Amino acid sequence: METKVLNNATVDMQNVDIKPSIIIDNVSVTFDTAKGEYTAIKNISLNIKKGEIVSLIGHSGCGKSTLMNTISGMVIPTSGSVVANGNVVKGPGPDRGIVFQNYSLLPWLSVYQNIFQAVDSVMKGKSKEEKKELVLKNLEMVNLMAHKDKNPNQLSGGMKQRVAIARAFAINPSILLLDEPFGALDALTKSSMHVELLKLWNLDNRNKTIVMVTHDIDEAIFLSDRVVVMNNGPAATIKEIVDVKIVRPRNKKDITHDPLYIETKERLTGLLFDKFSIND
Amino acid sequence: MRSQAYKLLVLDDSFLMQTVRNAFYFVCGMCALFLLWSWVSHATLNEIPGVAKTWEVFKALYADAFYFNPENAADEGIGWKLWDSIQRVLLGFTLGTIVAVPLGMIMGSNKMLMNILNPVVQILRPVSPLVWFILGQIALKSSPGALIFMIFITSLWPTLINTSFGVASIPDDHKNVGKAFGFSTWKYVTKIAIPFAMPHIITGLRLSIGIAWMVIFAGEMLSGDSGIGSFAWESYNGGNYENILSALLIIGFVGVMLDKGFSALQQSFAYDKK
Ligand SMILES: Nc1ncnc2c1ncn2[C@@H]1O[C@H](COP(=O)(O)OP(=O)(O)OP(=O)(O)O)[C@@H](O)[C@H]1O
Ligand SMILES: [Mg+2]
Repeated sequence: METKVLNNATVDMQNVDIKPSIIIDNVSVTFDTAKGEYTAIKNISLNIKKGEIVSLIGHSGCGKSTLMNTISGMVIPTSGSVVANGNVVKGPGPDRGIVFQNYSLLPWLSVYQNIFQAVDSVMKGKSKEEKKELVLKNLEMVNLMAHKDKNPNQLSGGMKQRVAIARAFAINPSILLLDEPFGALDALTKSSMHVELLKLWNLDNRNKTIVMVTHDIDEAIFLSDRVVVMNNGPAATIKEIVDVKIVRPRNKKDITHDPLYIETKERLTGLLFDKFSIND
Repeated sequence: MRSQAYKLLVLDDSFLMQTVRNAFYFVCGMCALFLLWSWVSHATLNEIPGVAKTWEVFKALYADAFYFNPENAADEGIGWKLWDSIQRVLLGFTLGTIVAVPLGMIMGSNKMLMNILNPVVQILRPVSPLVWFILGQIALKSSPGALIFMIFITSLWPTLINTSFGVASIPDDHKNVGKAFGFSTWKYVTKIAIPFAMPHIITGLRLSIGIAWMVIFAGEMLSGDSGIGSFAWESYNGGNYENILSALLIIGFVGVMLDKGFSALQQSFAYDKK
């Protein structure tokens, strides 16, 4: 009896203790450019819970990548701070897996090696065999086994993107940062990547926090718990945060008929396109 | 299948044509050189030996290339003299490379060190190799040692400068990969810095070996220690000017070979063109 109570207490403690995975606190980023200073994002605050999937949408050049990069540590805020996994972000780290918008593969390494070197570097406790297996498993997942010995310049854009995804997944980070990860993929491959992403997330008991930049509203709704809509720059801010209340597991086909889905999509489309009059 | 075979044939044909064309250009160039040479020889009233006379001497040298006299080490064929020079260049060049590549990488990756070392390099680089020979002679009290020291110093600069430039120009994209996936310094150096800088490093090596090979001749003339340079100097003193021109041709030929070797190496590391 006593143990059971104790167990419950621990569980409760954990539930109470759930800390935000990412705390973006009043972050502004100003770039020094040849033409003077350019403030890309201004006074942005956003808390993301552990295990949450959040999408960032907004027009091209509004500052989505910049905001994302403050979480990854590639960009240090000019003012304000970002805390990830309880630590102030001072630079990139393997607790935050990144899929870069431009893939960032090393051109002199094969597809296999590009992933292996990342795994080898992050998974220090594992044996070489285990690392190898992990790489192959992730290559399988993105359906690139047949191309594992090719160099990146022999791959199509979508294939490069999948290598970058496999690399980020393989290191099993607690936070996944995806900058337009599926942008270069055809609809079919994209769908299967969505399924893989959710699989990965479920596998880890939905403990992974995922932040994703996308231009695809359907994708954002299907995957996310919340969609953050940004204003246009300069000095972009958050325009609105839309909750996606559709219950999980979501089904790709059925979801489009869900009234919640239709409502959310209308809301997001309205937020994105309110500047234009859509008459036709 | 048929169309593939056809394609291959066309490819072969154009490759053949290219080779033929290049051979033709080569012959044209050589003819121009020999014409100019003959003219100079004529204009100097044969003080500078002509092509035919030099060719006779060259043939004789070539026939006895690997002759040696066990009683007198200095009495040896041109092949052995050439080998002496090549060995010196390779030794000095290797030592230079061992110092220049790591130093260049450190310079390239650290702005402060770059700022400290760059002026030093810029000041030392234009110093004549013969000055280094003299300093080597004073310090080492050995002229073969001084020769190697001279080669070492002169083959340092191009490699050092090119390596540091290569490492300094690694794009942020590549650096970010190292950061995002927590690469150790070793992994960063071996998987990012060196592969990226490799084409630059090899360019540096190619320039270095070219300079080293050019400089050995003068060094050996000054030191009088065996080698192809001292052979030329002795020939000058003995009035065998055909020997000097033969040595010149040999130097040129070996120089081309060395350059071709490094050019091939350069090709094999051009990862983005593969
Ligand atoms: N390193 C930089 N230096 C100067 N300006 C920058 C830099 N990075 C981004 N910017 C500017 O900041 C703004 C936001 O850029 P960002 O890349 O974040 O846009 P984005 O929303 O990701 O766009 P896209 O959807 O096209 O990827 C742009 O105006 C861009 O020109
Ligand atoms: Mg972007």
